[in-house]
Amino acid sequence: MSTNENDEILSNRTSEGRWHVEFPFEWDADDLVSRRQLLRWSVWASGALFASTGILAALSFTRDRRRGSLAAIVKASEVPVGEAHYFSYPGPEDQAVLLHLREGRFVAFSNKCTHLSCAVYWSKERGRLICPCHEGVFHPETGDVLAGPPPRPLPKIELREEDGTLYAVSETLT
Amino acid sequence: MTSPIHGAGATAPTAPPAAPPPGHLGLVMLGLSMGIVLMAIQLWLLTLAFNLYLLGDRKGTVVAAIVSGLVFLGGLAMLRVLRWTSQRR
Repeated sequence: MSTNENDEILSNRTSEGRWHVEFPFEWDADDLVSRRQLLRWSVWASGALFASTGILAALSFTRDRRRGSLAAIVKASEVPVGEAHYFSYPGPEDQAVLLHLREGRFVAFSNKCTHLSCAVYWSKERGRLICPCHEGVFHPETGDVLAGPPPRPLPKIELREEDGTLYAVSETLT
Repeated sequence: MTSPIHGAGATAPTAPPAAPPPGHLGLVMLGLSMGIVLMAIQLWLLTLAFNLYLLGDRKGTVVAAIVSGLVFLGGLAMLRVLRWTSQRR
């Protein structure tokens, strides 16, 4: 290696090397953020969090807790006691589950898990509604969470029986 | 933008801000620590409000928003107190 090459390498390693020409910025030019500025920004961030919570509160006044309209599901005689029937309600993409718990006792829930929207299924052996993704367990009578990470109960679907046919009336959030 | 320090045309870096009066730094640090803790609480309140909103609990969502607003007002008051104390000195 020649002396000139050595000098060049050494000069690149010093603070006044080539990088300094290509990136001519100094630490001193960096903006200083004082504690007071940080405090001010944190208060504005706090304001943004408050605004977000306030928007949710305002939206809660416009949100309808019930959705869906009357729709036929299945003939009651086609679902034996202890069995489940899967259907779509209120929209074609919204999956739901109808359970025949005891003689003449039907309940229906949205079968979209309230944790991460996995499809919930009826486990006859365990007598529970199960979310297979993260082992969420729901009560078949109420839709309440019994175990696992789901934060809310399953939305309940109101039912009506007419002439042996089960109808979904509406889906309620709680 | 920046002014090069090394080489021709170098200028001295700007002087650092003057040190705060005795005791004032502690006050700012206390305010900052409290602000960060309260902001964490507000973040939790936001997730709680979202959960309650999805649950259809209107009252709970409004209460969460009110508490979050009070925390924000507390932060604003803290800023004002700090400004007032620094002006007084």
